[in-house]
Amino acid sequence: MVDQLPNRGLELEMLQEMGFSSIDDLFSDLPEHVRMNEPLPLPPPQSEEEIIADAKRLLGANRAMGDVVSFIGAGIYRNYVPSSVFQLVTRGEFLTSYTPYQPEVSQGMLQAMWEFQTLISELVGLPIANLSLYDGSTAAAEALTCAVRVHNRKATQKDTVYVSELVPPDRMSVMYNYCQGAGITLKILKHNADGTLDLAAVQGAEGSCGVYVEQPNPLGILDGGLTQIKEIIGQNTALVVGIQPVSLGLVEAPGNYGADIVVGEGQPLGSPPTGGGPIYGIFACSTPYLRLMPGRIVGRSIDVDGKEAYCLTLSTREQHIRRHRATSNICTNETLIALMGAMHMSLLGPEGLEHLATRNMAACVIAKQKLSEISGISLPHIASSHFNEFVVELPKSAADCLNYLDSVGIIGGFDLSRWYPNHSNWLLVSVTDQTKAAEIELLAAHIAVWSTLKEAVM
Amino acid sequence: MSRLFDFAGGTGMGYSQPEPLLPKTSIALPPSLSRKELPRWPRLSEPEMVRHYTWLSRRNFGIDTGFYPLGSCTMKHNPRVNEVIAQLPGIADIHPHQPEHHLQGLLSIFHEMQHMLAVCSGMDAVTLQPVAGAQGEFTAVRCVQEYFRSRGETQRTKVIVPDSAHGTNPASAAMAGYDIIEIPSLANGRIDLDALKAVIDDTVALMMITNPNTLGLFETDIPEAAEIVHAAGGQMYYDGANFNAILGRTSPGLMGFDAVHFNLHKTFSQPHGGGGPGSGPIGVKSHLAEFLPSPIVKKRPISSGEEQFAVDDMWYSWYVPRNTIGKVQQWHGNAGAVVRCWAYYRRYGYGLKDMSEHAVLNANYLRHALHREAELAGVSHMFVDGADAKVAKHEFTLSLQPAKESVGVSAMDVAKGLLDMGYMAPTVYFPLVVPECMMFEPTETESRDTLDKFAKDFVKVLQIDAETLHEAPITTPVRRVDEVYAARNLCLKHPFDEE
Repeated sequence: MVDQLPNRGLELEMLQEMGFSSIDDLFSDLPEHVRMNEPLPLPPPQSEEEIIADAKRLLGANRAMGDVVSFIGAGIYRNYVPSSVFQLVTRGEFLTSYTPYQPEVSQGMLQAMWEFQTLISELVGLPIANLSLYDGSTAAAEALTCAVRVHNRKATQKDTVYVSELVPPDRMSVMYNYCQGAGITLKILKHNADGTLDLAAVQGAEGSCGVYVEQPNPLGILDGGLTQIKEIIGQNTALVVGIQPVSLGLVEAPGNYGADIVVGEGQPLGSPPTGGGPIYGIFACSTPYLRLMPGRIVGRSIDVDGKEAYCLTLSTREQHIRRHRATSNICTNETLIALMGAMHMSLLGPEGLEHLATRNMAACVIAKQKLSEISGISLPHIASSHFNEFVVELPKSAADCLNYLDSVGIIGGFDLSRWYPNHSNWLLVSVTDQTKAAEIELLAAHIAVWSTLKEAVM
Repeated sequence: MSRLFDFAGGTGMGYSQPEPLLPKTSIALPPSLSRKELPRWPRLSEPEMVRHYTWLSRRNFGIDTGFYPLGSCTMKHNPRVNEVIAQLPGIADIHPHQPEHHLQGLLSIFHEMQHMLAVCSGMDAVTLQPVAGAQGEFTAVRCVQEYFRSRGETQRTKVIVPDSAHGTNPASAAMAGYDIIEIPSLANGRIDLDALKAVIDDTVALMMITNPNTLGLFETDIPEAAEIVHAAGGQMYYDGANFNAILGRTSPGLMGFDAVHFNLHKTFSQPHGGGGPGSGPIGVKSHLAEFLPSPIVKKRPISSGEEQFAVDDMWYSWYVPRNTIGKVQQWHGNAGAVVRCWAYYRRYGYGLKDMSEHAVLNANYLRHALHREAELAGVSHMFVDGADAKVAKHEFTLSLQPAKESVGVSAMDVAKGLLDMGYMAPTVYFPLVVPECMMFEPTETESRDTLDKFAKDFVKVLQIDAETLHEAPITTPVRRVDEVYAARNLCLKHPFDEE
């Protein structure tokens, strides 16, 4: 018996009051030949207790990262989210509300999202931020279509954007799906052997609509060369930078080196990994992009009494008004997860962010050092600064190494041949604020043992 | 007012963090990349932060606060067990790149959800990749696009949508590069088969339609529309925004559709969170299945050695279809939302049909009660049904045009009056085909008492004189917000220099 239906048992009374005699009368408008006459071939309803027991059994069979030693990242990071964030975000007034179409009774979420916009704007160094897109990949994809809308008229390379060759295939695939309908061509920007962007190649992007790079890049490298891109490509080509938000506690805000649009996976601020969703995508931009940008925006306004009040604004860009001419089809977004981000940022404060970034980076420095000491193992980009992760070149396949580490209870990292098929011996090792020195020692010790094994583990 | 950027306490953090493994001085950054100035973020202690967000929450209206009859949005109760489950480490603390043997529980839940959605919709294959309804639409449109490309039918450059469709339909199709052909609706928002026949030819790829339509009426001509579109070689797309009205009574498959999206946050009660997250899986007939994006889970009997990881006698694996369009979100979709909706589904099982029946029962009852109370109070002349139909499905519309003409009270005025009565307002001014439209969707989780009381209060609002009602709301945290002022005096972030 389902316990969610308050009118169970009152059906007949309600129907009779309306002049009907059965529920079937309410579905009499369904043509005979489309009716489903058999019960749904699904199992019986369960009680809450039974559901919890099943959930614990099934989800308990998953290997949670906290139950093992984990060095996997590659875009989603295991980080600490303070308890108060979880406690507050489940307040029903936030959790069970929807898009604030009636601003008078939605001031809480509207103000929180306006504050979120400010937090993100300050973080990335650009004046405008929306209140989230689905994830980092869709934010990057929407940034490219936005760049074309803004720059195509003056572009000499029309309908063309340039994207770093290191962008992971799944992220690139999202970009392709979002861009192909607008006839946008994605061209590739080469990287140097040391993992940094080939700035000479960037000159070829001049006259195009946009350039997309990441800082840190997908190999974890903090690339100082990215600060020179804007000078090379000029004002008529958008510089789009994908970021890891925690890094910006130490790393220069892209808005301060010429980025026109900043996007990224907001997840490390406020959200557990959750298998990759729901998380939230950051989207921030400079003023020329404002009226052609995707997503919802909150503005500060006044009410009829002149009192400070907030509401959605610039809605004429959006699908419910502009329909097929909208800047994006996005409607439902990731507001609640963005709210978690805002709460986490509020608790950190500027110095807390810097401290958190330092913890992430310090763990990375130690891990690089420990792993580089293993004989037969090299770090191809050791000269660079890294955030969260770095490449380890192994004597044998990364897949084999990961199998070995898994057998001793360590998630050793990410097999980069899944992104770059030519690099079957490349392991991407990721650390975060949650990584302990002893865990790094353990990883190094086990990789050392594995590297001496003659036989493959699989 | 509690304003976040007014908090400028000491440099002590809102929560104390452990020390870094190395001091900051041992960290080297390229000089050009060293951050010069930290963001101007506020400084709050934990008690201040907790109080700020609690204060904000009290200025927000959710389903938990009161009746939320926002048409088209399906604001039903969100069972709390779903939230408890979503916090379990086996979902919250897992990484999308973990190997399959670490994720057998999650994969089995995905498989169960794929199966359930396929059974309920009459589709052959389901992907859980899209993270919102609009993204589900876009994904399905892309699958259809690649299907036609694979068949060399590149002349199909058009997508047909009725003028009463949700805005996301034309927006999603346009994003995939299609030209949009909007066809007018008949009275009651119904599909006009003659208008469809006038535009259909072999340049049409797809028709997108929702059923029940945006006026809450079942489109009885859908099978005929499907025949017309299919005869011209086109595909039929079902916008599942209103799937909660028909679940277990009919299915998109029975109606002749080729592809469908599900708004898990509507039909399966993922909390709407002030605007998201959602989840928008899609289902397709077999001819489109090989174009779907992953994550798709397949199962086979377990082999020896797998028992230690398995959750039953099957092994669950990720599957990437041969001609996949690729990804529309980088990871496995909104896995956390899928798990919540799995818990919701388990609560109902085959009883999902009861959910739809009660949603329809409540909508019809509310419509009846509104007319009943209006007649008792002598104000039945102030509104008419938005559509002329004996039965509505899960939602219905009223037109306040008579009130507007007779006493100068608009749908918006009534909406604001309802806020003063402690309700969320129904959707106003959508769909556009109904003048001074109010769209009500009570959902199945409201009691008859709530519906009766709302009907009485609605009628009380209609009895308020126009001048007073123009002033509403007066009891809310702020009164009518000046949206024109917001657009003309753009203030999109805290103006630090104002202080």
